Amino acid sequence: MKYLGQLALIFALCLVGDMIAALLPFTLPGSVVSMLLVLLLLVSGVLKEEHLGESADFLLRNMTFFFIPPGMSIIRYFDVISSIWWQLLLVNLVSMVICFAVSAWTVTLVIRIQQRVVGGRRA
Amino acid sequence: MREILSSPLFGITLSIVAFKVGLSINEKVKHPLANPLIIALIIIVATLKLFGIPHEYFEAGSSIILLFLAPVTAVLALTVYRQRAVLLSTFFPIVLGTLAGSAAAIGSVVLLSRLMGLHEAVTASLIPKSVTTPVAIALAEQMGGISALTIASTIISGLAGNLFAPLLITLFAVKDPVAQGVAIGCASHALGTSKAMEIGQVQGAMSSISISLSAIWTVLLVTLFF
Repeated sequence: MKYLGQLALIFALCLVGDMIAALLPFTLPGSVVSMLLVLLLLVSGVLKEEHLGESADFLLRNMTFFFIPPGMSIIRYFDVISSIWWQLLLVNLVSMVICFAVSAWTVTLVIRIQQRVVGGRRA
Repeated sequence: MREILSSPLFGITLSIVAFKVGLSINEKVKHPLANPLIIALIIIVATLKLFGIPHEYFEAGSSIILLFLAPVTAVLALTVYRQRAVLLSTFFPIVLGTLAGSAAAIGSVVLLSRLMGLHEAVTASLIPKSVTTPVAIALAEQMGGISALTIASTIISGLAGNLFAPLLITLFAVKDPVAQGVAIGCASHALGTSKAMEIGQVQGAMSSISISLSAIWTVLLVTLFF
C-alpha cells in the first residue's frame, strides 16, 4: 500500500506539473515544471522525503533504463539522419565537449571569486 | 506469433532483459565504454533485425516505458533537495555556470554548422540539443527545425555525456564535484545525470538542478537571439 500511495503521489504531481506547463506563456516541458514543483514543495515542507520514499529511489536508481525508448528513436529516424550522419555526430560531440568545459570552468571560476570575496571580507 | 510480438509486453520484456544483460556486462568489464544503455540498445536492435520484428511491435511496449520518463525527471528534485546545503552555498556558480554552458552550446552549434555549410533547418534543429528532449523539440520547431534531427541530437549529446563524462572530468581536470555535476547536466541533460548519480551524490544533485536551469536559460537565449 505504501508504494502505491507514493506512486500515486508522484504521478499526481506530474499531472499538476503538466497542467502548470500548459498555462505558462513560454516553452517549458511538464517534466521540468514537475521537478521544480516537487523541489518547491520539499523546501517549503509541504512534502516530506518519505512521501516519495522508496518508489522515488527505485525510479532514480534505475533511471538509465527509462532512456531505452528515446535511445531507440535514433534507429527510427535513421532515414532522416543517414545522409548527414557524420556532420551531425561531429557537431553534437564537439559542441557537447565545449559546453561541458565552459560550464565546468565557469563554476570553478565563480566559486574561486566567491571564496576570495568572502576571504577578503574576513580579512 | 504476431499476437505475442505485437503485445506491449514484448517490448517491455525485451528492454528489461537487454538492460539487465548490459548491466551485468558493465559489472564484469568495469570499463566506462561498456555502457549498459548502449549495450541494451545494440541487443534490442540486433534482436529486432535478426528475427525481422517490425519496429512498431517494439514501440508498443517502449512507449509505456517512455511514460515513466516524466516521473523520473520529477523525482530528481529529491536528489537536489538532499543536497540543498551545497545548492545554497553554490547558488551563483551554478546559475552562472549553466548560463555560460547553455550559451556555449548554442554558439558552438551555430559556428560549427556554418563551418560545415549545413542547411539552416539543420542548424535550427541542432541549436537546442543540449537540453532535455521536450524543451529541445519545442524550441527547434519554433525556429523551423526538423524534430527528428533534434531528437537524434539530444540523444547523441546525452549518450555522449553518459559515456564520456568520467573521461572529460579527467581531461579538463575538473576537481570540484559541483562543477562536475553542473557540466554533466548542462551538456547532456537527464541522460548524463544518470551517470552523474553514479559518480557521486553531489554530482547527481548538481546535474539534476542543471537540467532545469539550462532548459530555462536556453529558452531565454533562443527567444532573445533567434
